[in-house]
Amino acid sequence: MKILVVDDFSTMRRIVRNLLVELGFTNTLIQEADDGENAMIMLRSQPFDLVVTDWNMPNMTGIDLLRAIRAEAALKGLPVLMVTAENNRDQIIAAAQAGVNGYVVKPFTAVTLREKLTKIFERIAASGASA
Amino acid sequence: MNAVLPLAVDDSLPPELRDLLNSPEGPAFEHALDTMVRQREQHLFRALGQLARELHDAVRRLGGELAQEGVPGIVADARQHLQDVLEMSANAANRSIDFAERLRPQAESLARNAWDVLQQAEGDEPAAALAREAATFADSCRAGLGDMVVAQSWQDLTGQRIKKVASFIGTVESSLLELVRLTGALAGVEAPVDVAKVTSQEDADRLLSEFGF
Repeated sequence: MKILVVDDFSTMRRIVRNLLVELGFTNTLIQEADDGENAMIMLRSQPFDLVVTDWNMPNMTGIDLLRAIRAEAALKGLPVLMVTAENNRDQIIAAAQAGVNGYVVKPFTAVTLREKLTKIFERIAASGASA
Repeated sequence: MNAVLPLAVDDSLPPELRDLLNSPEGPAFEHALDTMVRQREQHLFRALGQLARELHDAVRRLGGELAQEGVPGIVADARQHLQDVLEMSANAANRSIDFAERLRPQAESLARNAWDVLQQAEGDEPAAALAREAATFADSCRAGLGDMVVAQSWQDLTGQRIKKVASFIGTVESSLLELVRLTGALAGVEAPVDVAKVTSQEDADRLLSEFGF
């Protein structure tokens, strides 16, 4: 399992990484990118199973990253979990319309993150079984 | 200005005026016209000049007040202070996460060992009581340390606001520079650097110092 954590704040990347380990993703390779542009470079060069991304980042925001992922044939099925302080209705709708798989509002707890991740992995397992 | 073109042949003037200027009384008429226009212009310029000086003084006062003791002297200082806050808070958050990362495996190992002891000890032995206590403590430590890591997300949330304030200060700075240039030009101080060409901090400092900031 390979997860890409995208956030411009290194503290936040570290927190998400810690949470993933705490949630039992111990045999998981967790990689980091500090904005959408660098995330796209990494996503194009190696396979990932999940992207956890912030919204508000320089150069390429999380919503643009999500749209870029959905627009690229090789990446469009990749699950994307948004973890962001942006919590207004329009933004959540925009993320949903762009095809986000989960939306966690900061500040969040390990319980919330676990819930959303579990949902995403359940869906992946279900679609994998039906395929 | 039309100074290069004699008024009498200026096509942009109404034909009635051109006729008057071309008449024998033309020079006298033009002189009277000049005097009238100059008087009106001077009135306007005086009012504008006064306004510009007042504005310039106000902007200068603002610069002075910003430079008070304990307050960042220049805008770049203010931005640097915010950058320092960002770095200090990131360091503080990282230190807390360091502690948690170091202590969590210890808590996990304590919990494991306590459970091993509990497996072997009889229920009412002092060792069993201690092991039970240790196991409970280790579990709550592990949970607490996890929460402590998550709580460090304050650094990201406050940091985003600090970044927004820093960018707002940048906007205020360029507006202030534009104001300095405009008021300086209006107050009769020639603007030495086109504000559009102000790209470096040195340019900004030079422009401000030339206007007495």
